[in-house]
Amino acid sequence: MHGLPAAQAVSDGAGRSAAGRNGPRLLVAGSRRFRIGIASLAGTLALWWLLTSLTGLIGPHRFPAPAEFWAAFVQIAVDGYAGGTLLTQAWHSTRLVIMGFLVAIATGVPLGLVMGISHRAEALLNPAFLLVRPIPPLAWIPLAIVWLGLGDAAKILVIWFAAFVPSVINTWTGVRSVDRTLIEAARVHGASELRLLREVVIPGSLPMMFTGLRLSLQASWTTLVAAELVGAFFGLGRVLDAAYRDINPPMIAVAMLAVGVLGALTTRLVAVAERRLTPWRS
Amino acid sequence: MKDIRFENVTKSFPTRSGRPFVAIRDVSLTVAEREFVAVVGPSGSGKTTLMRMAAGLDRPTEGSVRVGGREVTAPGPDRAVVFQQFALFPWKSVRENIAFGLRCKGVPRARQDEIVAHYLKLMSMEGTEDRFPHQLSGGMQQRVAIARSYAIEPDVLLMDEPFGALDAQTRTVMQEELVRLTRKEPRTVLFITHAVDEAVYLADRVVVLARDPGRLREIVDIRPTREAEEWGARPIEEVMDLPSFTHLRTHLWRLLRDQIRPDD
Repeated sequence: MHGLPAAQAVSDGAGRSAAGRNGPRLLVAGSRRFRIGIASLAGTLALWWLLTSLTGLIGPHRFPAPAEFWAAFVQIAVDGYAGGTLLTQAWHSTRLVIMGFLVAIATGVPLGLVMGISHRAEALLNPAFLLVRPIPPLAWIPLAIVWLGLGDAAKILVIWFAAFVPSVINTWTGVRSVDRTLIEAARVHGASELRLLREVVIPGSLPMMFTGLRLSLQASWTTLVAAELVGAFFGLGRVLDAAYRDINPPMIAVAMLAVGVLGALTTRLVAVAERRLTPWRS
Repeated sequence: MKDIRFENVTKSFPTRSGRPFVAIRDVSLTVAEREFVAVVGPSGSGKTTLMRMAAGLDRPTEGSVRVGGREVTAPGPDRAVVFQQFALFPWKSVRENIAFGLRCKGVPRARQDEIVAHYLKLMSMEGTEDRFPHQLSGGMQQRVAIARSYAIEPDVLLMDEPFGALDAQTRTVMQEELVRLTRKEPRTVLFITHAVDEAVYLADRVVVLARDPGRLREIVDIRPTREAEEWGARPIEEVMDLPSFTHLRTHLWRLLRDQIRPDD
């Protein structure tokens, strides 16, 4: 029962601890890091320009040159594309991701806690969970459309399914990985079960829970874009689909980059929440 | 104050092979009120198991453990434990860690603050109350853990190799401070260690365990010597240089050495 959740949790956990180790150094060398980041960005842009506009190694029918990309960006930002401007399309997608993600946390974290705390609950729920878990989130899309059509409700449902599993597994693993000695220390100093849960088990599993939330958020974006590609009235996936039908690579690139930027920004929000809620890990 | 009585205690654990592993066999031992008893023994002699049964974290397979006459069935705030790895709550500040047991007992906030301040002062840790454990040295962390246990005014203090994770210098300082603390505020103490000199320096009596299975080998009375020579009033390096101290240490070491194997 432990092998599977641990494997998924550890893959991200390793990355997190590496980032943690860089923490103090990051403060010292912050400005240097920032300069390197800018240089890397500028380098990528230069390479892009070199391969497309300057040498023509990659033709415009495959990937847009910077100028074409900019023109497409201005077009969608000002006039709109596929039924809305960049801002309204991006907001539509972001709103759905946030709603689906919140529903997934609100249901997944409590379930993970219950499964982590009670072996009886785990024995009861794990078989069903093991069966549902390997179904790729994208495989839920047809059923969601059959049930709820092409509107927002279907999108929220598939995001929920996608983001739910990592939330449950990592919360559950987090509870199980709380240092047993801390639980004993709380008991020998007179803690009740409720206090043990609130002041030891939950704070002790927070780091792992946040690993789950990051994975859930990634899954939310992946699933939303896929669901919008399959069928939607609005959103960045809808933009991608329309641009594909119009054979408009510059617009495809703009929509892709928009998803990337939004994914990074929302991940950042989770990171900020994590730092706020786990101030002892610095 | 309460005493601790182990009466014909045996503890075995189930194993995969089906044959239970006997950690402790037929141990009878009494720690009197306000007495400081140290338990030494090679690894595998069940020292920690003995402490855990007094804490209520493990139950004996046979026999009984009584604290203040009442059989131990679960952990309780009359028996505080200091763990080798400190076991401080990483998400709580020094103040919150020390006050943890007090909040569990429902002590009013103002009284909590007084008690926390008292132990911070006693442990010379003023000014650290808002820090997190990871911002403290090992020695400081163990001071916080000792303060957390002392704060709930337990009748019995159970210490499981509390200085085992500290470096040699810090360890010596902590031993001296513990003597000072237990003179000022005596408790019934069961102190687990594998360091013979630590046991002789701290304890009224030293219990030597043998291993495979863990059982009582000998009990050495230190108290008459300590009181006659006033060890408690002298610096630790001086005490450890006394002929009487060396003599006791050598005696205990001989009881232990034939049980220690190179593969340990």
